[in-house]
Amino acid sequence: MKKVFTCIICPNGCNITAEIDGENIISILGNGCDKGMQYVKQELTVPKRTITSSVLVENGIIPLASVRITDPIPKERIPDMMTYIRSIKVAAPVEAGFVIDPNALGLETKLIVTKSVPYERKQK
Amino acid sequence: MKDVVDVVIIGGGVVGSAVARELSRYDLRICVLEKNFDVCYETSGRNTGVVHGGFAYDSGSLKAKLCVEGNRIMGDLSKELGFDFKRCGKVLVGNTEQERSSLERTMAQGERNGVQGLRIIEDEELHQMVPSVVGKFAMFSPNSGIIDPFGYTISLAENAVQNGVRYYLKHEVTSIRRNGGCWEITAGHQQFCARWVINSAGLGCKKISDMLGLCGLDLVFSKDDYIVLDNRLGSLVPMPIYTVPSNTYMGIHVTVTTDGNVLLGPTAEDRKEFENYGVEQKNIDYLVDCARALWPHFTKADFIRTYCGVLPKWVDKNGLIQDFGIEINDDFAPNAINLFGIESPGLTASIPIARTVISMMKEREHLLEKADFNPVRKKILRFSDQSPEEQESMIAQNSDYGEVICRCQKVTKAEILQAIHNPLGASSMISIKYRTRCMMGRCQGGYCQMRIAQMLQDELGINDTDLLYSNEGSNLFFGKVRKKAGQ
Amino acid sequence: MTEKHDVVIIGGGPAGLAAAVEMKKKGINDILLIEREKTLGGILRQCIHDGFGLIRFGQTLSGPEYVQRFIDEVDHLGIAVLTDSTVWTVSKDKVVTVMSPQGMRTIRAKAVVFSMGCRERTRGALAIPGERPAGVFTAGVAQSYINLHNEMIGHEVVILGSGDIGMIMARRLTLEGAHVIAVFEIQSIPSGLPRNVHQCLDDFGIPLYLSHTVTDIHGAGRLESVTVCKVDEKLHPIPETKQEWACDTLILSVGLIPENELSLDAGVTLDSCTHGASVDEFFQTDRPGFFAAGNVLHVHDLVDMVSIEAEKMADSVAEFLRDGFLPFCPLEVIVGKDIGQVVPNRVEGLHDVSFFIRSKGQQENCSIQVVQNGTVIASKKMRKMIPATMAEVKVKKSNFLDSSPLEVRIV
Repeated sequence: MKKVFTCIICPNGCNITAEIDGENIISILGNGCDKGMQYVKQELTVPKRTITSSVLVENGIIPLASVRITDPIPKERIPDMMTYIRSIKVAAPVEAGFVIDPNALGLETKLIVTKSVPYERKQK
Repeated sequence: MKDVVDVVIIGGGVVGSAVARELSRYDLRICVLEKNFDVCYETSGRNTGVVHGGFAYDSGSLKAKLCVEGNRIMGDLSKELGFDFKRCGKVLVGNTEQERSSLERTMAQGERNGVQGLRIIEDEELHQMVPSVVGKFAMFSPNSGIIDPFGYTISLAENAVQNGVRYYLKHEVTSIRRNGGCWEITAGHQQFCARWVINSAGLGCKKISDMLGLCGLDLVFSKDDYIVLDNRLGSLVPMPIYTVPSNTYMGIHVTVTTDGNVLLGPTAEDRKEFENYGVEQKNIDYLVDCARALWPHFTKADFIRTYCGVLPKWVDKNGLIQDFGIEINDDFAPNAINLFGIESPGLTASIPIARTVISMMKEREHLLEKADFNPVRKKILRFSDQSPEEQESMIAQNSDYGEVICRCQKVTKAEILQAIHNPLGASSMISIKYRTRCMMGRCQGGYCQMRIAQMLQDELGINDTDLLYSNEGSNLFFGKVRKKAGQ
Repeated sequence: MTEKHDVVIIGGGPAGLAAAVEMKKKGINDILLIEREKTLGGILRQCIHDGFGLIRFGQTLSGPEYVQRFIDEVDHLGIAVLTDSTVWTVSKDKVVTVMSPQGMRTIRAKAVVFSMGCRERTRGALAIPGERPAGVFTAGVAQSYINLHNEMIGHEVVILGSGDIGMIMARRLTLEGAHVIAVFEIQSIPSGLPRNVHQCLDDFGIPLYLSHTVTDIHGAGRLESVTVCKVDEKLHPIPETKQEWACDTLILSVGLIPENELSLDAGVTLDSCTHGASVDEFFQTDRPGFFAAGNVLHVHDLVDMVSIEAEKMADSVAEFLRDGFLPFCPLEVIVGKDIGQVVPNRVEGLHDVSFFIRSKGQQENCSIQVVQNGTVIASKKMRKMIPATMAEVKVKKSNFLDSSPLEVRIV
């Protein structure tokens, strides 16, 4: 059976065709590099994705700090990760690169802040 | 709880606000009931922005008489009230002998109506005046002009407020009853008891007229669609360019606004009902074709936006368009002045209409003039119109003049703050747009709307979920993406 | 009082930042970088998704992380920066007028760099018929509200345009609990990268309807529905196919337009294909001493390429300041068959040059050719070309035959 994938690892977005027989991968063709091969192998077993989102910042010059997970997680865990991210607050000042959680949801990925937010005291 | 007043004016558009302003010269308690969230949401803010010469109307009509008078005073009025008006003239362009005859008839009608300076100009002179137009000859009307219709309407309303008039925005009249010697009017949660009522409800004039007991008057609605072009084209249109008109339809125009945007339009289509302000594709296509024949200097890349305006036209039972209805019926509806079918040239004629209303009131009652009436209203000073020296001085005195919020139209934070704290209490996004021109440029608020939304919330204490773009239900936001505790 | 600086860079986004850093490294010290926002970073401040920096840093970073690296370098190198300052006008003789709450400044520069980026194409520019309710946003505005201002702008969302930003917003909105009903694209192929179709739409089950467009908008207060039609090969709506789609939000991702108002003030000529300045291989416009790079010159797919371009331009600015001029570029570049746009528009013919090209429409198993005097002097085979992806064709200096015009075409 043939399955077609669009690789998402880099902007080239190679069109990759995998030939599979049950659980066995017979061939992978069309990838421009090895990363594409790895991507397709992963997609055929446990599809994984990265997430980027925002967390609330207290007393910052802006209300949100952008965050991301450093390593992809199984696609099906995305809703759980989003629920977790929604519950997080950080206090300004916060620097880009700050590790909010070194092992978010036990999924072997860090959750890091990606935007520095300086402190600003507000009246309200 | 009833508010007892002397005059209720129903409808705060350009005519209602002109009446309010003129009436505020007298010692009267006056209030204006406006159903929308600001004063120029309907016809007053959706037109061509032209001050007409007065030649296009039947001689002897109110339209002709009041237009000529309104045109005459517009220059002085613009200085008094602080709105933009340019007496730039207008050309009505023709190509055929039939059109020439039509223009000659129009010119004769204009002269009968008291319009000064009309003349036929030939090819060479036409192209000296308007190099970019396609046409062989034209009738030139030197006294015609262009006006900022938002600025004008708002200036009338603000001057009225300055002189003691109370404006009730978001107050739609739901019932009118005659009780003893007064009119009992319900609008929103408020009840008013007024000796006089003026119906200046524009598109709603039939609804109010019926409520007053003055039934049997018929309206049709003329739906007008327009296209707005980039103001980089403005220099190619030194004055409005019209085609040869009839007495019922002005024709396609290529007009310039006081900000230098070019307008194509309107298409005009009579409808029995007013449905909505949706611009139609067929009209956009029609405008592009017609305008190209007259002035072929634009492409689709110059489009900024489209808009729609609707005019209320009084018609008799055969569908024939009538004159302005400015009437009082002492028997059926005493002390109620009905302004019916105030379509074009209502903007130009607004103050003369108001003065006519007042003279009708004066025939029935003595009006005492106030000693402290102030006819002068200052507009929000436009930073971008000032000289560099003045700009430096303005920033030194108020650093908010140095923060540019709307890049396309060069509008500063200080001007937007003044607009937010306007005397009428209008607080929607487009209220700020109408007062400052921000969000009207080529990016259509792509850069500045986020800041303006924040400023409105911060300055007026409006919750994000209550902030409105325009009218009822036009909320921008559904809540926070990330909620703080207790949100 | 007029100040003087060697270089004024207008716009502190990725292009302006990379240019500033490179110029400083090439020995130009008197640089002033002017940014209208309160913080540097440009549009990347709100692009919180990843995919930035794969070429530049070999990592997949979010927008703010990518741009922070350049901001840190600007800091470290002590480059003078003005934030919260808007360039009001640029004169033809390189006088830059700046407004800020601190006052008005006029600066006479020896060289001016335009790096102002883009604005978005609007509903009005497309003249989409219908009413004007609240709830119609361009994708960048929606992104700014959600990512910078913490405001949720809709629940039931329709997206017009399958540009990258529209697809990125489809994913963002879905992750934040909105229901993205569909994405409609007028062309017969997506206008953004295939990887985004997959990871933003397919992953979330969001349908993409190609050859469809919005033909009417309904709602007096807030948006209530849009009318959608299929289009024919000429992209004209087919009225018989119209359907109503109930929604409360319409996101428009229908194109970016280089923001060149200041370039026009300075009398610079724009290229009709890119809508950015017409430039030579040194990224100099047709007015000596005025340069452009980044999205203000031509809309890029990858910010990594913006940084590279800005650095090349910066090298030219350094040369310009040193010598007082740059070589004349007599070889005009003509846009040939199936080419949407080419940068640069003129070359000298004495150096290796890269041409950056977008195709018109989808091309398969084709060749991009650079032709001079009827001879193909460079070509590049492409398995597939889509307008969404910029292609680079290199021409070696030895390939130039003479100073006659070059034609770039696809065969």
